Amino acid sequence: MKKKSSLYMDYSMLIVVVLLLCFGLIMVYSASSYEASVKFKDSTYYLMSQLRATVIGLAVMIIVSRIDYHVWRKLAMLTYLGSAFLILLVITPLGMEINGARRWINVGVSLQPAEAAKLGLIVFVAAKICVMHKSLKSLKDLIVGMIPGIILAMMIYVITRNMSSAIILLGITAIMIFVATPRYVYYVIGAIFVGGGVFGVIYAVSHGLVPKALTTFRLGRVQAWLNPEADASGKGYQTLQALYSIGSGGVLGKGLGQSTQKLGFVPEAQNDMIFSIICEELGLMGALAVILMFTILIWRFLLIANAAPDLFGSLLVVGVMAHISLQVVLNIAVVTNTIPNTGVTLPFISYGGTSIVFLMMEIGIALNVSRAKAATQIY
Amino acid sequence: MSKVKKFTFRMKKKLMVLFALVLAAFVFLFYRLYVINEQNGDAYKRQVLSQQQASSKVLPYRRGDIVDRKGSRLAYSEKVYNLVIDSKQMHENDDEHYELTIKALQEHFPELDIDSVREYTTKNPSSRYRVFLKRLDYKKKEEFEEVMKTSVSVNNADGETVNIKPDGVWFEEDYLRKYPYNSLACDVVGFVLGNNTGFYGLEGYYNDTLNGINGREYGYLNDEAVMEDAIQEAQDGNTLVTTIDTNIQSIAEKHIKLFYEKYNNFYREGLAAKNVGVIIMNPNNGEIYAMAGYPVFDLNDPEKIDPTELAEYLKTSTSENSISANAIMIEQAESEKISADSSVSSESVSSDTPTAMDAVTEAKNQVWRNFCISDSYEPGSVMKPFTVAGAIDAGKITGNETYNCPGYLAVGGFNIHCHNKLGDGLLTVQQGLAKSCNVVLMNIAFSMGTDEWLRYNRTFNFGLKTNVDLYGEANASELTFDESMGQTDLAVASFGQGFNVTMIQMAAGFSALINGGYYYQPHVVSRIENSKGAVIKEIDNKVMKQVISESTSQKMRDMLKTVVMSDPSECTGWSARPAGYTEGGKTGTAETYPRKNGNYLISFMGYVPADNPQVLCYVVIDRPNTQYQAESTRLATVLNKDIMTEVLPYLNIFPTEEISEDEMAELQEKQGEFFIGSDGVSENSVSADGIENMSESEDAIVINPPETVSYDSAGNVISENKISYDPETGYPLDPATGEVLDPRTLEPINGVSSFMTEAN
Repeated sequence: MKKKSSLYMDYSMLIVVVLLLCFGLIMVYSASSYEASVKFKDSTYYLMSQLRATVIGLAVMIIVSRIDYHVWRKLAMLTYLGSAFLILLVITPLGMEINGARRWINVGVSLQPAEAAKLGLIVFVAAKICVMHKSLKSLKDLIVGMIPGIILAMMIYVITRNMSSAIILLGITAIMIFVATPRYVYYVIGAIFVGGGVFGVIYAVSHGLVPKALTTFRLGRVQAWLNPEADASGKGYQTLQALYSIGSGGVLGKGLGQSTQKLGFVPEAQNDMIFSIICEELGLMGALAVILMFTILIWRFLLIANAAPDLFGSLLVVGVMAHISLQVVLNIAVVTNTIPNTGVTLPFISYGGTSIVFLMMEIGIALNVSRAKAATQIY
Repeated sequence: MSKVKKFTFRMKKKLMVLFALVLAAFVFLFYRLYVINEQNGDAYKRQVLSQQQASSKVLPYRRGDIVDRKGSRLAYSEKVYNLVIDSKQMHENDDEHYELTIKALQEHFPELDIDSVREYTTKNPSSRYRVFLKRLDYKKKEEFEEVMKTSVSVNNADGETVNIKPDGVWFEEDYLRKYPYNSLACDVVGFVLGNNTGFYGLEGYYNDTLNGINGREYGYLNDEAVMEDAIQEAQDGNTLVTTIDTNIQSIAEKHIKLFYEKYNNFYREGLAAKNVGVIIMNPNNGEIYAMAGYPVFDLNDPEKIDPTELAEYLKTSTSENSISANAIMIEQAESEKISADSSVSSESVSSDTPTAMDAVTEAKNQVWRNFCISDSYEPGSVMKPFTVAGAIDAGKITGNETYNCPGYLAVGGFNIHCHNKLGDGLLTVQQGLAKSCNVVLMNIAFSMGTDEWLRYNRTFNFGLKTNVDLYGEANASELTFDESMGQTDLAVASFGQGFNVTMIQMAAGFSALINGGYYYQPHVVSRIENSKGAVIKEIDNKVMKQVISESTSQKMRDMLKTVVMSDPSECTGWSARPAGYTEGGKTGTAETYPRKNGNYLISFMGYVPADNPQVLCYVVIDRPNTQYQAESTRLATVLNKDIMTEVLPYLNIFPTEEISEDEMAELQEKQGEFFIGSDGVSENSVSADGIENMSESEDAIVINPPETVSYDSAGNVISENKISYDPETGYPLDPATGEVLDPRTLEPINGVSSFMTEAN
């Protein structure tokens, strides 16, 4: 089958992504200018850094969108092992520590292996499912299918102590297998188990059943989640300040750039907590607009996946969709104190170069899938 | 070609389920956002605002000055500094920094409890603001700021020598209200408590004018989103330029003080009088030169009042308690206050004597209030000129009538007496005033009738506030006669009994009586200036109304002159005359409520010169500490004379009359007493120049030898036959004891006299 080169791709999705990027740049500037001017005497420090990453990301996206996605199937094992290798680099002298967390490696630019791992995992799991597609019916096969995700998640958690990225890696794998397999029952059972476990932990923490000696960093976050006011200047501080931002924004917000909470009160205002600044400056309406943009984006992924010419293409897009959905949901859930505080960035909007570049690479792949669909439809 | 694996329909269905789940999550999260706004939006808005305020700084305004008519500052605010400890900053560096700061504080501020600083900073390491010392002066602040800038070499924990500076201490600006003359004009100036809140006097009345608007220093983001400090300067308060003259005020206060020293414990244990008030003003424009009362208190520390004086006021407010019992009460109240302040107070202490502190507070208010405007009383005979002026102005009498005084007049079933119960026979209107005859005045009032009398009473502003610009003017409108006034009421009202007035009403009304009939609003502030000295409001001398005609006023001046200037046997006010001047005026002796207790309020209203009034002085002595209060009017006239004798030369009003040898001797005798600078105004007090110049000029005056009457030092008449007469009443005095004798029986009278007895 000869593919005719075509200019068509999913422009709706592209427009949404570009809009999100531009909006992200504006919000990063608004949220970070105070901190930047205090720390670096340059209010545009974070903006310029994000702008560079965005330009690189757009270039990467265009290149990737011209690469036939079937190439990735051949490179699947390589991307997976490469991701694992990058994670291992963190414990070498190349590893970098920022804000007390050792999650970066320095390869000319600082790079977060967890972001690369998400892409690597999507490609690898998609390829693997295509291979074992027929047999993915028994519980044993489901568990086998989860293994690549579990390995990477364990590495991320053990080496970089990054729980949220580990959860996202597991989630991406689970969702991709969920879509590819015919049955629901194991997932329902799994959800019940996970839910029961979570409830058990909450119950234990809230009723003081956990001995003091076992009160770890994570459990402390659970306590802060259940009652942020109890430790308003400590563990509950970030969550409370985010809630203050959201609550003080009202329906229409204080106006773009008018947030007062970003003036040193909300930590990581341009990063994990950027959504609270959006709520403060643009109000519930601004938050609704952002959520709608992501809804449209995810809907476009669904359409591309449905129309993809083959299973691999569909699964790649499902993986990207799972990745972005998980991060958006978790990020907003953290900001609204719906779940315990864990560092998840808001895709395309939060500050963070690695995240932007790899997300754009994923968008490039999805665009290429959408082109393939168009090409087949022409015949 | 191998078969391409397809994304099956079943998978599409599951993808749809996934999408639905994500959508559900979005909806749920948006609901969360909505709930946060709905439930806590307002609270969080406030929280955000309060967090912001922590980063801005208040710049206090300076409360405006109060200056006297010559520019001397009666009250001003001085910049002082509060020492603030920033615990977080103190801990930001190592222990060496902390210890160095503590040591520097200890060295420079010995009054600072360094252990409490240690305790506080250790317990509250994140505190950014805590005031530890207040009201430091500029010098101390500068010295310590210099220390903060100087590096000190110390050995740190590792044994290395490092250069470090103290950290975490800064100074906050504040203002302290100061009264350089301490107690001078305390009732007029008033004082400030707490957060620039004025109480009493000008501080209370002009509180808003004197206060400014706080400024603020805060950070904001400029267009480049760079944090910048913005300073909104404080707007300082306005300055009051008053009509008060510090020298005249201090003269008045000095003589009140001398009066108290002389008459304290004079007849019975206790103060010289229940109250004394003096108003000195310009009758031609309503400007008040001085307003004084007793006791005085230090404006810099109004809570600190002499305990014996406070006990005296406690006695009057709690009636029968002895002074020693009151002293105990004050101690109780003080200890209550202390225990209430300290955290260890036990319930039993404060519940045992719940009223002690209230009573002391009440007594303090008695000391703080301005008697001249806040207390009302029955004016007595000083009211008589108002009755006469009303009758003449209304055309009811010409002023040339004569009336027969048999010593009493029967009105409505009562015999209303004159103080001279023997009667003075035929009297003209002028003689009626000079001798202060009640019968003449009652007849004049009857010729007016109640309606006309009431009309003039209202015209002279009785029953209305004068709206003098001082805090706490009494409203005596409920204590004046209205249309239901009867004949008996009219009879006693004609000589100033049965209704209440305030001193300021009397002084303002009397000014109109003698200045040509123009009623000026009495006032203390002549000008309001902003903090830069620019005039923002000129308070003109305001003529409210013309109350009587020029010609009536002229007649009044002529008559009132005879009250002071006649032969001592013919008038009641002769002892008020300052040597070398002509004076007009009127004495007053009013029986206080409850009647027949022998309690009187005596007063004298005088003005100089008699034909062209330049200065008016009204003296009121409430219940003097003498055996026969009704016969003690002399105390008021002499106080008036003493004050006038000093005030007139100061105001450049020159003597026009000859000074007799006796007067000369008296002046010289009193010179030492008079012109020793009174406390408080040492720099600005009246120099002896005035009186010296006067003495020099007297060389040219031919001094007439004294005639048949001579005066003793207290102003009593010593006649040839050694029988003297009381100047106020004309009653004979016992030459041996000085007691007042009943003119009919020449027996000592019991002092329980009343102007009104049941008719037989």
